[in-house]
Amino acid sequence: MLKYFVKRLIMMIPMIVFISFLVFVALDLTPGDPLTAQFSPESISGLTHEQLDALREEAGLNDSLVVRYLRWFGGVLKGDFGYSIQTGTPIGSIIANLLPATIYLALAALVLSVLMGLLFGILSAIKHNTIIDYLSSLFGVIGISMPEFFIGILAILIFAIQLKWFPAQGRTEIGATFWVNLKYILLPALSLGLALTAALTRYTRNSMLDVMNKNYVKTARAKGLSEWKVFYRHVFRNALMPISVLICLRLPMLIGGSVVIEQVFGYAGIGSRLLTAINSNDYQLVLSIIFLLSIVSLLSSVLIDLITGLLDPRVRYN
Amino acid sequence: MSENKDILLSIRNLKTHFHVRKRVIRAVDGVSLDVRAGKTLGLVGESGCGKSITAHTILRLLPKTARIKDGEIIFHSRKRQPVDLLKLQPSGKEMRGIRGNDISMIFQDPMSSLNPVYRIGDQIVESILEHENTTRAEAMERALEMLKRLSIPSAEKRIREYPHQFSGGMKQRVMIAMGLICNPELLIADEPTTALDVTIQAQILELMQELQRQLGFTIILITHNMGIVADVADDVAVMYMGKIMEFGSKEDVFLRPSHPYTRALLKSVPVLGNSGRDLLEPIRGSTPDPSDLPEGCSFAPRCDFAKPECGQAIPYVDVGNGHLVRCVLAEGREVRDGQ
Amino acid sequence: MEAKAQKIVKSSRMRNVASKLVSNKAALLGLAIIVIIILLCALAPLMTPYNPTKPDFSAQVQPPGGAHPFGTDKLGRDILARVLYGGRVSILIGLSGAVGGMLLGVIIGSLCGYFRGWLDAVFVKVAELVSIFPQILLVLVLVTILQQSMYNLIMIFIATGWVATFRMVRGRFFSLREESFVEACRVFGLGDLSIAFRHILPNCLGPVIVQLTLNTAGFILQEAALSFIGLGVPSGTPTWGNIMNAAKEIVSINQYPWVWLAPGLAIALFVLGVNFFGDGLRDALDPKQI
Repeated sequence: MLKYFVKRLIMMIPMIVFISFLVFVALDLTPGDPLTAQFSPESISGLTHEQLDALREEAGLNDSLVVRYLRWFGGVLKGDFGYSIQTGTPIGSIIANLLPATIYLALAALVLSVLMGLLFGILSAIKHNTIIDYLSSLFGVIGISMPEFFIGILAILIFAIQLKWFPAQGRTEIGATFWVNLKYILLPALSLGLALTAALTRYTRNSMLDVMNKNYVKTARAKGLSEWKVFYRHVFRNALMPISVLICLRLPMLIGGSVVIEQVFGYAGIGSRLLTAINSNDYQLVLSIIFLLSIVSLLSSVLIDLITGLLDPRVRYN
Repeated sequence: MSENKDILLSIRNLKTHFHVRKRVIRAVDGVSLDVRAGKTLGLVGESGCGKSITAHTILRLLPKTARIKDGEIIFHSRKRQPVDLLKLQPSGKEMRGIRGNDISMIFQDPMSSLNPVYRIGDQIVESILEHENTTRAEAMERALEMLKRLSIPSAEKRIREYPHQFSGGMKQRVMIAMGLICNPELLIADEPTTALDVTIQAQILELMQELQRQLGFTIILITHNMGIVADVADDVAVMYMGKIMEFGSKEDVFLRPSHPYTRALLKSVPVLGNSGRDLLEPIRGSTPDPSDLPEGCSFAPRCDFAKPECGQAIPYVDVGNGHLVRCVLAEGREVRDGQ
Repeated sequence: MEAKAQKIVKSSRMRNVASKLVSNKAALLGLAIIVIIILLCALAPLMTPYNPTKPDFSAQVQPPGGAHPFGTDKLGRDILARVLYGGRVSILIGLSGAVGGMLLGVIIGSLCGYFRGWLDAVFVKVAELVSIFPQILLVLVLVTILQQSMYNLIMIFIATGWVATFRMVRGRFFSLREESFVEACRVFGLGDLSIAFRHILPNCLGPVIVQLTLNTAGFILQEAALSFIGLGVPSGTPTWGNIMNAAKEIVSINQYPWVWLAPGLAIALFVLGVNFFGDGLRDALDPKQI
C-alpha cells in the first residue's frame, strides 16, 4: 500500500512540471512588460529607460525561455509568484488570502454532495422500482440538467430574498461561529454541489444494482450472513469503488464550477479574484491562479485515487 | 421413497415458479427427491431444466421474481429437530443459522463467486464468526487447516492474498474450503467444475470425494455432465423441464435406464469407458418454451416412443430398489413393496 | 451473401434498439423536447416579430404579457426573441463541440486501441492531463491568450471533449482486437485501417452515441456558465448564457426575474430532454436488458 502511495505521488511530479511549463509559455505569450510583474511598483517607479533595460538584463529577462522558466519555477516553489500588475501586491499573498476560502467552499460542496448522493442512490437501489426509486432517479436527471449558477440564482431569490433564511451574498471571515459559517456556506455549497449530488445519485444507484447481482453477493448470503451484513460488507463496499472513480473525474468540474458560483454569491475567493484579474488583463495573476487551481485539482484527483487503491486491492497490486 | 433413517433431505412435490411480465415460468414443477446421508446425489439435466433453481430453493436463495408454489423440503439434521425449510423466513434467523452452517453451497463460477476486495482468509472465517462463538485467531487457524486439507500450496502465505491472485482451480478450492469450514451436513455443489479446465475438473472432484470420506458430509452435485455423475455419484436424479424423470442408484440408472430421456442423454454424451463403436446421437428437437409446457410428459414432443397416453398426468413407477421412472412405458413393470 | 446476412443482422439489431427506444416513454419525451425546442429556435423569425439585439428604450423591463409574452430586458429587448435566437447559438455550440469531440475521440481512440505502442502511451498521458485540468480554467487560459469568440469556444470544447470518447473506444478496441472475427479479417488479408474502421469500430458506436448526448448536454451547460461570467460568446450575440448575464445583479434577481428565468428554464428543459433521450438510448443499447 505504501509503495502504491509513493508511486502515485512520484507520478504526479512530471505532471506538475508539465502544467507549470504550459502556464509559463502561456504567460510568455501574453502581452505586457514582464518587468512590472517581477518587481514591486515602488522599486521601479523612478527609473530611466536605460536603467530599466539594465535591470531587465540583470533580471535575466533576455535569457532563453527554458532558463527563464526554471528561474520562475524555482520562485514558485518558494511561494514567489511575482507581483500583480494591477495592484502591485505580491501574488503569493493574494493567493494565501483567498485560496483557503475557495478550497473551503469546494470541500463543503464535496462533502454535502457525497453524503446526499450516496444516501439517495442507496435508497433508490434498495427500494428498486418503487416510488422512492423513481423520485430519486427523477432528481438525478433534473439535477444534472440544471446549470449550477441558475440553481444558485433561484436559491438566492427564494431562500435569501423571499424567505430571508440565509444571506444572499458574501462569506464569513476566519473565526466565525459554526452556525454563522453554516448560514453563509450552505447555499453556495449546495448550488455548487448539485450536479455532483445528482450524478452520484444516479451512479450509486446503478453501481449498487450492479453489485447486488454479483455472484459473490450470493456467496455471502449462502454463508448465512444477515441482509444488513451482506449489504455493508459485500454490496456497499464494492459499489463504492466505481463511485470513487466518478468523484475523481468530477472533482475538476467542482473546482472550475467554484469560479462561477463565487461570482453568483459574491463569495470572496480565488475564483472571483480570477475573473477580476482577467477583466483587468492582470496576466501574471491570472496564470498563477490557474496554475494553482490545476495543482489543487491534480492533488485531489491523486487523493481520490489513493482512496480507490485503499478500497480495491486489484488497483494497488497492479 | 419410503421413510428412512438415513435420509438427510427429502423434497416433496416442490414447485418454484417465476413471474416474468405476466408469464409464469414453471422452473421447478413437482420435484420429489430423497438425499441419502453421507452419499452423493447427482442431479443431472440440460441447462435450464430447473436443477439449479431446485438447489437455490433448498437454501431459500431465490430472486424476488420467484414464488414457491407448493411442496416441502424436510431437513433431517443430526443436530436439530426435522424442519421444513419452506416454512422458514428466507432471511430469518433460523434459515440463516442453517445456511452456510448445516447446508452450504458452492457455485459454478469460482472467478466471480469470491469478493475481490477481501483477503481469502477473511472471507473463509466470515462463516465461522457468523455461526460459532469463537475468536478470530482461532477461526483463522481453522481456515488455514482447511486450506491445507484442500492441498493449497504455501497456504500460510496464500491465506493473506486476494482472489485475483488465485487461478480458477485454486479459487474453487477456496470456495470448497468456505463451504466446508463450518462442518456442514450437506454440501450443494452447483456445476462446481464447469468453468474449469478438464484436468483441474478431475482434481477438484477427487478432492471433494476425499474430503467426503474424511468428514462424512452429504453432497448434492448438480451437473449437466453425465460423465461426472458416473464418476462420483451414488444416486442419480435425471431432471427435465422442472420434473424428475428418473431417479435411482447410479448402477440402476446407468445400467438399466428406463426413461427414454435418460437413454437419449446417455447416448448423446460420451461416457468414459464407452467403446468408440457406439456413435453419439444428439436428441432431436429442442427444449420447449418453459412458460408453455405441454400437459403430461414434457419430453413427449421429442420422444421416439411417444404415445397418446403421454398427454395425461404420469405417476412415478418403481421398477425395483427405489428406481423410480416417470414414463408410461414403465407402467406395468412396477414392483410391489418388498418384492 | 455474407454481406447480406450481416446487413440483416444489423437491421434487426437496429430495429430492436429502435423498438426499445420507442417503448421508453422518458426517451420519447426527451426526443420531443429536443425537436420542439430546435424547431422553435430554427423558426425564430416566424415566432416573434422582434429583433433580439435591437434596443427599444420605450419598452424597458416590462413584465411578461401583452406584446412581449416573456417581457423585456433593461434595454427593452424582447426576451422571447432573445431566448429563441440565443438558443440557435447555444445549441449550435453544444452540438458542434460534441460532434467534433466525438470524431476526434473516435479517430484517436481507434488508432490507439488498434496499434497500441508509443502512440497509445502518448495519448493516454495527454488524456489524463486534459481530464484533470478543470475545463473552465483551460477556457480561461485560452481566452486570456486568444480572443473571445464563438469559434474559439467550439474549438476549446472539441479540444477537451474527446477524452471520454477516446477512453471508451480505446477500451472497446482492446477487448475486440482479441476476438476471432478480427483474426478472420486478418486471415482474409484485410488492411489494418480497414479492419480497425470498418470491422471493429461499428461495434463501439452505441456507447459513443450515448457519450455524444452527454457531451452535448455538458457543453450547453458550460457555454451558459462561461457566458454568464462574461467569458463565453461575446455579449453582442445573444446566447442562453449571455441573456442570463443580467442576473449577476441582486436587483435583477429580485425585481425582474423574468429576464433570467426564461433562458434558465430553456437551458434546463433542453438539457433535460437531451439527458432523457441519452438515458433511453443507453438502456436500449444495453444488450443485458431484454
